[in-house]
Amino acid sequence: MIAQAGNSQAANSRMQASIRWTVLLLGSLLVISSLVPLVLRAFAADEGARVQLNFSNAAPRTVEDSTQNAIGREYAAAWKNLAEGLANDDLSKINASFVGAAHDRFADQIAQQQKAGLKTKYVDRGHNVNAVFYSPEGSAMELRDTADLEIQVLDGGKVVHSEQVKKQFVAILTVAEGRWKVRVLEEVP
Amino acid sequence: MRKLLYIIAAIAVCIFAADSARAAELRVPQQATAGAAITIGTGGSGEGTLIVTGPGTMIKKKVKLGGEVTIPGEELRHSGRFTAILEGDARSFYIAPAPPAKLNFLARPSRVPVSQPDVISGVAFIFDNFDNLILQSTPVRFDLSVNGGSALSKTVTSKDGIAWLKTNSASREGAAQFVASVGNANVRRVIQLVASEPCGLRMKANRQGNSLMVETDPVRDCSGNPVPDGTIVTFIQTGGGQGRSTVDARIKKGIARATLPAVPGATLSVASGVVLGNEIRMGGGL
Repeated sequence: MIAQAGNSQAANSRMQASIRWTVLLLGSLLVISSLVPLVLRAFAADEGARVQLNFSNAAPRTVEDSTQNAIGREYAAAWKNLAEGLANDDLSKINASFVGAAHDRFADQIAQQQKAGLKTKYVDRGHNVNAVFYSPEGSAMELRDTADLEIQVLDGGKVVHSEQVKKQFVAILTVAEGRWKVRVLEEVP
Repeated sequence: MRKLLYIIAAIAVCIFAADSARAAELRVPQQATAGAAITIGTGGSGEGTLIVTGPGTMIKKKVKLGGEVTIPGEELRHSGRFTAILEGDARSFYIAPAPPAKLNFLARPSRVPVSQPDVISGVAFIFDNFDNLILQSTPVRFDLSVNGGSALSKTVTSKDGIAWLKTNSASREGAAQFVASVGNANVRRVIQLVASEPCGLRMKANRQGNSLMVETDPVRDCSGNPVPDGTIVTFIQTGGGQGRSTVDARIKKGIARATLPAVPGATLSVASGVVLGNEIRMGGGL
């Protein structure tokens, strides 16, 4: 009788333990599942500026899904590299995302900044981007970007001018060295 | 109470006056063009540091206040919105691109069959002399010609710096000259137009002992262009109790030839790519 009672107590405690473990496991899964998107977002934010893209107006060619992803990634990275390149006079950042006229433009700016002891700092608050042209053979794309920026000019480390602006840009991206790079970044008046 | 209102009004007038005075310190151009010099007016007295910043530009100059500062055109080659900063005061102005002077022209493909619809595309990007994209609508002329004969001439108005078109390939083979022009600037690309698929493929057969010599008529596409040498033509023999045998032959000097075993009752056919030619049934005279 006593032995039976002991067995049933042991079975009960095993069941309780297994329930506890199950609850603990489910709780852990819940925590992990809620943390994963946050961690991913944190890493994604490091990829580049916040860029909201719309490809529905691109013509004459429809933009493939893989190209949409690549353009989103590379255009955001270009703005991040531009901000870092101008803030630190780092030409390698410009080389990473810009070619042709756009590259020469920002390389010129870095050279002039270095000469004058000035720096430009972009605080990038996001971009609303519309793809307006995708070439028939798929090697060039034009974007219209409404950018929300804070631009600071620093002279010897001291901010001499700061302004909050909403600027419109036309960007042309082409495939160079196996990646989409910005070839033209022209401000719309 | 009345005194307080007077004091507030006086302060407001002072702030307005000070603001007006500051505004007068820096005068920027209303209109400017890339590559052209600009003059910036300054107010006050003594010395100051003028900074001019914009796309691709960062200029710093010590200036005498109260005078005008000229910035040469070679320092202002980039278009866009610029800001002049002087002793805490800042004014913005826009530098427009210079007139169109350059084109970047993408023409595709480099080699294409004749008489195909919408297979040739041309995209022109319009720039000024300083590589600024011309966003203003600009007419761009596209010309496509083969062996001196014009196949296309069309003017397209650019939008946001780009003009493009898609067109058919011409019916004559040869090196097509595809030219995009804006003002005095033009860019030429060559597109090789090659014969299309064979058209009206025909063969004849001659028996020589136990063999059969088969050869095509000169192989041409539907526009009469000779199909290039090296193109594969397949001769197929079926039936006659000998199963099926095929021989691939390359076109040489416009004609494809092959030797097959002579099998009475067999059927000969000829094909090139997806194009089928005539059939010959062995027997009778063969």
